[in-house]
Amino acid sequence: MPENGKPFKPLDPLLHSELRLAVMSILLDADSADFVYLKKQTGATSGNLSVQIDKLQQAGYIDVTKGFKGKMPQTICSITDRGKDAFAEYVEALRSYIPGSV
Amino acid sequence: METNFSAENSLRLIAETIDRSRRTIARNSGKPLILWGTLVALTSVIIYALWATTGSPAWNFLWFAMTAVGAVCMRSMTRNSEKVPDTEISRTLGKIWMWFGIFATGFFALVWVAWGIRTMIGIEGPLSVDLTLIIVLLMGLCGTLSGSVLKFKPITISAVVATALSVTFLMVMPEASAVRILVFLILGLFALIIPGIILQKQTNN
Repeated sequence: MPENGKPFKPLDPLLHSELRLAVMSILLDADSADFVYLKKQTGATSGNLSVQIDKLQQAGYIDVTKGFKGKMPQTICSITDRGKDAFAEYVEALRSYIPGSV
Repeated sequence: METNFSAENSLRLIAETIDRSRRTIARNSGKPLILWGTLVALTSVIIYALWATTGSPAWNFLWFAMTAVGAVCMRSMTRNSEKVPDTEISRTLGKIWMWFGIFATGFFALVWVAWGIRTMIGIEGPLSVDLTLIIVLLMGLCGTLSGSVLKFKPITISAVVATALSVTFLMVMPEASAVRILVFLILGLFALIIPGIILQKQTNN
């Protein structure tokens, strides 16, 4: 129980992971971002990033569109309304764990 | 990187990630300002030289050629630079300058239409509308709005200073003279090139 007597809010396990949280943070600010940009910004490996993007997509937090730019394959990710709500709830929950922030 | 971590670390990660992404997006955003400023300044000098030499204001059509050259340069610049995603800020800036282009082109076209109608019905003398002043005010307003949206004071201040200098220049110079077109040299330098260089230097640092 935190100092203010209110119970800790549960943290969304899908977002409480460093890489998935970083991806969601980028997509929250940008309208959409391609895989290469996300990889560069997070410093993740392609394999790990693909796995985490899949998990976020399966949860309905992001949309993933696969296509081509010229002859190069391109994967564009964008945050969904459900993802935005989940992110807002996650940040709200985080605040309940930080003394003096609630 | 499937680690769980503390609430403080989560919040720090969110803030750092958004900040890093924004800095990446802001990188190179000074270059378009420098490009368009240089084009505006150069075109105004060229138009002034041709107008003063030939006595024809028709050289103002070179502004359209400048827009085409600028668009080609921008495309090349975008292709060679790092691909960054669109954000609410970049879309807002795009819309501000898109509407500047529409209004400026629209006013330019309206002046020529009005001039044609006046010629047809036999009205002589210069139009009572100062197109240059209108474009200067529009450009100053859009520059000030851009600085406010970017929360980058050098752009806002430069745009205000450039507008004040330009309007003063237009009031001092004789009406309907070629030299008035040099107002865009002032605008290009103060509203676009100087803040562009400041923005670029900050980004590089």
